[in-house]
This record gives sequence, C-alpha cells and structure tokens, in this order.
Amino acid sequence: MMRILVIEDDPALGAQVIEALGRAGYATDLARDGEEGGFLGETEPYDAVVLDLGLPEVDGLTVLRRWRKAGVAMPVIVLTARAHWHEKVEGIDAGADDYLTKPFRMEELLARVRALIRRAHGHASADLACGPVRIDTRTARVSLDGNPVTLTAHEYRVLVYLMMKQGQIVTRTELTEHIYAQDFDRDSNTIEVFVARLRKKLGDGLIATVRGLGYRIQPPPEARSAEGLP
Amino acid sequence: MRPGYSLRFRLLAGAAVSIALALAVAGVGLSSLFAGHLRERLDLELGNHLDQLAAGLGLDDAGGPVLERPLSDPRFQRPLSGLYWQVAVAGAPVLRSRSLWDVTLALPGDQLPDGVLHRHEAIGPNGVPVIVVERSVQLPGATARFRLAAAESRAAVDRARAEFDRTLGLSLLVLMLVLTLAAALQVAVGLRPLARLRAELAEIRAGRRGSFDAAVPAEVQPLADDLNHLLAHSAEVVGRARVQAGNLAHALKTGLAVIGNEVDGLDAAVAGRIRGRLDDMLRHVNHHLGRARAAAAGGLPGWRTELAPTIAALGRTLASLHAERAPAIVIDCPPALTFAGEQEDLEEILGNLMDNGCKWAAHRVLVSARRAGPGSIVLTVEDDGPGLPAGSEAALLIRGVRLDETVPGSGLGLGIVRDLSALYGGAVEFARSAMGGLMVSVTLPGGV
Repeated sequence: MMRILVIEDDPALGAQVIEALGRAGYATDLARDGEEGGFLGETEPYDAVVLDLGLPEVDGLTVLRRWRKAGVAMPVIVLTARAHWHEKVEGIDAGADDYLTKPFRMEELLARVRALIRRAHGHASADLACGPVRIDTRTARVSLDGNPVTLTAHEYRVLVYLMMKQGQIVTRTELTEHIYAQDFDRDSNTIEVFVARLRKKLGDGLIATVRGLGYRIQPPPEARSAEGLP
Repeated sequence: MRPGYSLRFRLLAGAAVSIALALAVAGVGLSSLFAGHLRERLDLELGNHLDQLAAGLGLDDAGGPVLERPLSDPRFQRPLSGLYWQVAVAGAPVLRSRSLWDVTLALPGDQLPDGVLHRHEAIGPNGVPVIVVERSVQLPGATARFRLAAAESRAAVDRARAEFDRTLGLSLLVLMLVLTLAAALQVAVGLRPLARLRAELAEIRAGRRGSFDAAVPAEVQPLADDLNHLLAHSAEVVGRARVQAGNLAHALKTGLAVIGNEVDGLDAAVAGRIRGRLDDMLRHVNHHLGRARAAAAGGLPGWRTELAPTIAALGRTLASLHAERAPAIVIDCPPALTFAGEQEDLEEILGNLMDNGCKWAAHRVLVSARRAGPGSIVLTVEDDGPGLPAGSEAALLIRGVRLDETVPGSGLGLGIVRDLSALYGGAVEFARSAMGGLMVSVTLPGGV
C-alpha cells in the first residue's frame, strides 16, 4: 500500500510532491511525461497514482483512459491546473478517483492520497488497528497498547501493507514491489530483516510466517467484527 | 453603410418600369400603324371613286363635262352623307355630287400633272373636315383639263382610330398587370433560396444548428460557403483562445503551487503573508481567465444544452470528489428541459453550487430544475447543512469573500456563478431550504 507513482512534468513541483510523499512514508517513483508514466503504471504494482493532465508526449487523460481500458485499477488522483467543472467531469469520467486543482496545499494532497488508498482497501477509517497495535495513517504514528513506537520508513510500509491486508497472505515479492521505489536496489532478504525488527518492536504474536508463501497478520476475533472483515 | 432598397423592391421596380416602357412603345407603334392602314384604305377607296368618276364623264355639245353614268355608291346621292365628288374646270366647280347639296369643296390651287393623285385636308359641308383625293384628266376632244375630286368626312376614320386606341390601351394595361404579376412571382421564386438562407441564419443564431447545409443555387453557394467558413473560423478562434488561456492557467498555477509549497518551510508570519499574496494572485488569475472565457462564449451564436445528462455527470463527479463525506446527491430534473447556453457555462454554474452543497450538507444535497415561464428555467441547489447566518447573503457573491475559512475553497465559486448568470441575463437568489440548510436558486434562459 505504500508505493506511489507521481506523473508530473514540472521538475520543481514533481520534486516537492515526491519529497512530501517520501516524508509521509511512501515509496515513490516520478515520471516526467505521459509515455513513461503510462508504461510504469501498466507494469508496476502501485498503490496510488498522482497524475498531472498537461503532460508531454501523451496527455494525462489519455494515459488514464488506456490504463482503465487495460484493466489497471489502482486509485488515481488527478493533480492539474485545469479547474473548470467540465474538465473535472471529464477527468472523473475517464476513470480518476479524485481531482485536485493547482495550486494546492500539500497537506490536502497527502490527506486525499491517504483516503484514496484506504478506500481502495475497503477501510472506512484513517486508523488501522490489530489487537494492541494501532496506526494513525494521517500522522504515520504507530502505537502499542497506547505507547508510541518508532519505526523506520521501510518498517512502517511493511507494517501498513500487512495491516491493510489483514487475514490475507502477502508474499515477499508483493511486499518488495510495494515498499520500494522502482530504481531502489531491491533485495527480498531485507524483508525478513524488517519483519524481524517489527516483531522485536511490536511483539512476536502480530506477524505470522506462512512457510513457503509469505506473511500474514491475523486479526483478533473482536477486531474482525469491529472492522467488518471476514 | 447606406441602407439599400430591398432586392425584392429593386427587381420588382426594374421589371415594372421596363414592362411599362416596352408596352408604351408597342402602343404608340401599333396605334400609328393602324392609323396608316386606315389612311391607305381611305385613299384607295377615294381613288376608286375617282376612277369611276373619270370613267363616267363625257362631254356635252358645248365641250363641258357631263356625267354619263352615275357613281355606284348610294351615299353620293344622299345629301351631306359624308361622301362627295366634284369636277372643276379652271378652278371653278362645274359638276358635283348630290350629297354636296349647295356647297362646293374649296381646294388649293396646285398644278396637277395627269394621272397623279393629290391628297388634301379640307373643310366640307357644315364645316366638317374632310379628306380629299384629286387628280386631273384631259378627256379626248375636250379643250380644258378637268380637275376631279372625291372627299370623305374624317369623322368615321377618327372614330375608328379612337376606338382602336381605346381597345389597344385597355389590352396593354391588362398585359402590363399580368406581366408585372409574373415578374413578382419570378422574384419571389428567385429569392426563395435567400429566404431559406436567412431562416438558417436565424437558426444558427438561436443555436439550433452550427452551419448552413441547405442546398442553395450555384449563385448563392459561394455566400453560404463564405458564411460557413466564417462560422468555422470564429469557432476555431474561440477554441484556440481557450486552449491558450488553459495553457496560461496551467503555467501560472503550477508556478503558484511550487511557491506555495516552498513557503511551508518558512517562518509562520512570513509564510502567512506570502500565502495571502499567493491567494490574491490565484484569485486574479481565476477571475480574469473566467471572464475571458465568458466573454468568448457570449459572443458566439447561442447553444442549447440538455440539463438532465449534465446534472447527472456533475452528480457522478461530485460523488467521487466528496467520497469521504459521501453526501447523497438527489437529482430532480424533467428529461426534456434545456438551458439556452453553452454546456461548459452550465457546468460551471451548477458545479460550483453543487460543490458548495456537498461541502456543507449533513447527509443530503437536492438538485432540482424546472421551467419558470416562457423561455426561462430555475435551477435550485439545497442542502441539509447549517445554512447561512442571517444577513450574510450579499457577502456570498462578492469575489473572494469566504464566510467559513474552515472548509477548503477559494471563495470564488459563487462569484463565478454570479458572473456567468449575469452573462445570460439570469439572477441568483438565496433562501433557507425546507431541508434546513442553504437554498440557492439561479434563473437562466431555457425551456423544453
């Protein structure tokens, strides 16, 4: 749930968005034109996309329509200077999930990206909880029995992804794809290191290893009914 | 430009004048032809009488003329019948028809070679003008030359000519009427393609069509083509201006976004001041771009936009944009209702109103449209939110004024709604909704 693609041709704005998303704990890739962005969106498993509309090579709406036609379903927030309502209607009808016009406050973009990812995983609240562990995704704060726990960015991403997929088995490859940016030197062995550190900080019982398949966070019975999960 | 007479008037006046001229020339020609014919016949008749007279003349013992056989026409026997003859010797009448009674024909004293006919107008009995044809003959054995004259009253000829002229005049008048009517019909038929062109132009102005496509005659086709080019050109210019305005907006707003994000790291007081200026700049950019767009739209021929699909599309869009609060957007719009304007303007008006409704609604936003009278519709957006503090309605429409700073927005929405409504001669009104929140009604041109 932690990997985000930003397609923005303005270098300064692109850098700002990437930096803000990185500070908020997301792994990010930046594409500067519609051609590259469209290709990345089709081939890499992103959890959300921030898409500018006025792009070189291929414009944003065309990229979006191609993805949707090809069955690429990740949530997309359009970030554009086109503020007219007919443009917003066009954007949403092309398959966008949200629409934010420039200039914008960075907090608002982060809030909307967060809400989009949360809704895409069927969670109604900004808080994720499993037993004594709670995550406030608005502030990226993790607590154990009400006491704050300090995590690195990678640890946080692994934890949030597993929490989002409570009850499901998540493979190492899937985790790797969602917590690292594209140009990062990936090593699936490091996942084991992160899981080991998380167990140390949050207790052994939270993350279970499913031998030969991957990891799973099993929600306690009372959490199932509270979250409405199976 | 000097206002010209209508084409119909020019063509009709031209046709009427030329018809009248042609018929007048024909009338004068025919009348004089007929008069010539009458005269010729009279001359021929009088010549025949003279021949008969010459053949009937003989000489008495004294060598004077004597009529041996009377002339065949009985009118010579009836006094003052209008047909006369006379024989003169050396200027003095010696024999005359009984019809002349006691009058002699006074003839000019010209010299007549034998056999040549002379024609005169003279005064006959009772002062009636007569036409006289005379010749002189030398009878064998006679010493003197006889001057023979036959005369007939002009009255019959004049009467015949007058009658002919009257009949001719009447016929020509009827002919002129028929020809003028035919010309009027021709003009009407000839000008019909122009009338069709004008009707299409009216439809283009009313927004029911985009170009001329009726079949017109070859002479008018270039005009229709030029008008179509003009329409296409103005649409293209407007389209290009919009694209350029959009590009300008993109560049400026992206720049403003970058500066705004940089400000976040600064001292709070400085950041606040810069942010205030940035907000002002954005308001100016939006306001003037909106006005440029609106001015371009106002100059174009009218359009017609269906309300129901537009409201439905905006409903979909707003449901996505407000997916977190997820207010229920209820639409009540009859399917056939249209707005007499451009779709983008309608979207701008309704989008801003519905967006405000979604921001403030507790659970529900109601969008309704109905006819307000001939050529006018009312769009109403209401919500079940907190509504407005009393007396603050006027401030809502002022550009950049925001009544609540806690809900995101630039405060521009209602100002744009007001500007666009004014462009279409519409009005914006505020009231308390039966649902508890604010109700905004916009009156705009439109209908079924």
